[in-house]
Amino acid sequence: MEDLVVLRGIVKRFPGVVANDHVDFTLKRGEVHALLGENGAGKTTLMNVLYGLYKPNEGEIYVKNKRVHLKSPKDAIELGIGMVYQNFRLIESHTVLENIILGAKDLEFKIDFERHEEKIKRLAEVYGWKIDPRMKVWQLSAGEKQQVELLKILYRGADILILDEPTSVLTPQETRRLFKALRRMASEGKGIIFITHKLNEVMEVSDRVTVMRRGKVIITKNTAETSPVELANYMVGRPVILKIEKAESKPGAEIAKLIDLEALSDKGVLALRKVNLTIRKGEIVGIAGVSGNGQVELAEVMIGLRKATKGKVMIDGVDVTNKNVKEIIELGVAYIPPESTRWGIVKDLRIADNLFLKAYRYPPYSNKLLLNWKKIFEETEKLVKEFEIMTSSIFAKARSLSGGNLQRLILARELSGLIGGGAPKLIIAAYPTKGLDVGATEFVHKTLLRYRELGSGILFISEDLDEILMLSDRIAVMLEGRITGVLSREEANVEKIGLLMSKAVAQAR
Amino acid sequence: MSLKIRTKFGSIKIERRLTYPRHISILTTVLAILLSFAAVAVILTLMGINAFEAFAVMARAFIVPRLLFESVKQSIPICLSALGIAIAFKMNFWNIGAEGQIYMGMIAATGVVLLHVYYGAFNEYLLLPLMTISSFLLGGVWCLITSFLKSKLNVNEILTTLMLNYVAILIVDYLIHGPWRDPKGYGFPLSIAFPNYAKFIFVLDSPAYTGLLISILAAAAVFFVMKYTKIGFEINVVGHSLNVAKYAGINVSRVIMLGSFLSGGLAGIGGLSIVSGIIGRLRPRASPGYGYTAIIVAALAGLNPWLIVVASLFFGGLLTAGESLQASMNVPKAATQMIQAIIFLFILMGEFFKRYQIIFERGGNGS
Repeated sequence: MEDLVVLRGIVKRFPGVVANDHVDFTLKRGEVHALLGENGAGKTTLMNVLYGLYKPNEGEIYVKNKRVHLKSPKDAIELGIGMVYQNFRLIESHTVLENIILGAKDLEFKIDFERHEEKIKRLAEVYGWKIDPRMKVWQLSAGEKQQVELLKILYRGADILILDEPTSVLTPQETRRLFKALRRMASEGKGIIFITHKLNEVMEVSDRVTVMRRGKVIITKNTAETSPVELANYMVGRPVILKIEKAESKPGAEIAKLIDLEALSDKGVLALRKVNLTIRKGEIVGIAGVSGNGQVELAEVMIGLRKATKGKVMIDGVDVTNKNVKEIIELGVAYIPPESTRWGIVKDLRIADNLFLKAYRYPPYSNKLLLNWKKIFEETEKLVKEFEIMTSSIFAKARSLSGGNLQRLILARELSGLIGGGAPKLIIAAYPTKGLDVGATEFVHKTLLRYRELGSGILFISEDLDEILMLSDRIAVMLEGRITGVLSREEANVEKIGLLMSKAVAQAR
Repeated sequence: MSLKIRTKFGSIKIERRLTYPRHISILTTVLAILLSFAAVAVILTLMGINAFEAFAVMARAFIVPRLLFESVKQSIPICLSALGIAIAFKMNFWNIGAEGQIYMGMIAATGVVLLHVYYGAFNEYLLLPLMTISSFLLGGVWCLITSFLKSKLNVNEILTTLMLNYVAILIVDYLIHGPWRDPKGYGFPLSIAFPNYAKFIFVLDSPAYTGLLISILAAAAVFFVMKYTKIGFEINVVGHSLNVAKYAGINVSRVIMLGSFLSGGLAGIGGLSIVSGIIGRLRPRASPGYGYTAIIVAALAGLNPWLIVVASLFFGGLLTAGESLQASMNVPKAATQMIQAIIFLFILMGEFFKRYQIIFERGGNGS
């Protein structure tokens, strides 16, 4: 098959890092080529080079056997390259039709909307998508928006498609539909680059896979000739265990109970609708769902960061509805916040400061007025060792830590019993592995399981179904602020969760 | 974060520095001051003034003892206000109302003196300590008003602190034209002269000036509070990230109110240092804008209390130098203020080069 894209010796440097270090990459006509790597491996940088957003410091780009110099995405688009970003670039208040023809080639002066509508409908049918071009984009689900993005590119006649982590916003059913469409596109002779860090997706949809690590290409292989374990090893650079051992769950007494809980989002609309949920000691309750369906609001109401407008939050038999954060912390509630750099870490403060963000105000770390730095530093040294935080010094700024080490720092602060001693009664973990590499993810999983053994009740929010299924003892699914169902681990599977995650269920109710 | 300018001959890139090496920071400050002198020299020459002579006159503000004392005196209100501003800025509370807090401090200090003189209240040894405490309290309350409004009603403190400056200045005007005017003062808008024990003194003609002592003590106190106390830690966290502070269960409005009280209080003592240290009585417009200069000083010193002491001495010297220039070389007042402004400007420009680096790349657009 003909080579659609050849990248040769691409080097892209940013101040202080080499994001792409002599990268070679080839995309053939008619293949789905997975680009696999952990966060920060350089996948997105490489694709931005191909899309004309970055100019490489060194290296050559060939598209359809011709050497090209891309000055901007406009040049790339003219060569038939299209990109679908993780966060969609659509105009929400416009219709599907308007979004698609916006930027289409050779648009006539007086736009013949009906002709375009027909063409778009026909194009969508080819891939099995039922989409009404007259709908406004804001009315669509995430999966449908992605279809619009793809249609936009296909409508321009692109035959080199780049998809950046396309499944992160999709339900399992939507993912399957997307993969089918991608296969179909490949069979039409298009080339598709599929950026991901999920191994099972690579196995499911790709023909070939290229693994990147720390800016370099480690290997390119035919997917059929490799295995998830092998790929994981290439990706991480050392052998990894994909499954972890989990002891039988021995749930104890009720530790947290939510009763008809309601709360508003930042925008002032109802984000939680009559949420009822119980968490017991020594069990992990997973909250599955596409993010943005009320999960973060739920966590924030429980920790006192957000006001409940109705209903009750009971923790360890105490009504903590709308109590302040400090009181709830003192009850023994740990919170691992989403987007840790925004919510959980002060990057310009030292590691010791960050570890004691909550405990600084309690003895023996301070008296009424003064901090006991000596005690704080001693304890920090201990915790840095215990939680394996890799740093040159406890006086280093948190900024100097990698994502995985920052998460270890947060785990150390929240779980190590700095306040009151002992394991927390309740742990609320919101997307604790998002953006982490395989090693750090493993550490988070193991740590949560360890605290389950110690008797903590754990609320585990994630959009990664694999880890939800791996860790949880019970699984609640959230959609539009409601809990659409609670499944025991035995009855739960991807299919059932996916159904509860999708709109069809909500509308049937 | 980074800007690239392409030219025919190559490109110029402006990039944020990843680290801020100390030698670069010192070098840029020194260079900025030297360059500002060069610019001042050009302007003075254009005005027909011998620049070298002018610089010699200005340098005396830092050398001749009598003028040096004057420089130290001028630096005290700047220093105290800047220390207060540093606390506020550390928690991202943009207190630009030090000027008003200074005026409130002057009112409190003068009030105590008047109570003593007219009603015989307080022992004379207690007078200065009492004046210090009361000017701290009133300055603090003046700033507390704004932080209270911010935390209860989310009112922007930049506006309220600034507006309260004018209110404070007008209150002083009212008092001095009205109830607090010296009855034996031939109708001039002045308070009575302070008795000697209500004034700052030079010990043995050395710069061991009461004000300097207060400044250094205040700097040490700010340093200690920020580094070793719970409230200092909380101020730091609030300043770096409001989100994280809330997440950690810190009572953010309490921290902002307490911090702003300390901030205004220090500026209030700055007011005391004017009436007791420079003028010896209260008069309208007693501060020529120390509270605003203090904002620049605090920023230049990177909010570091010790550097604030040093930077205020420099700026106090510039004020004295300006006065000398007016007196001995007939340079108009406006011109001396311009000279000061040019020096400020160059130093501020220097700040840019501490944070960004400029990279020249040779070669045209090709490659």
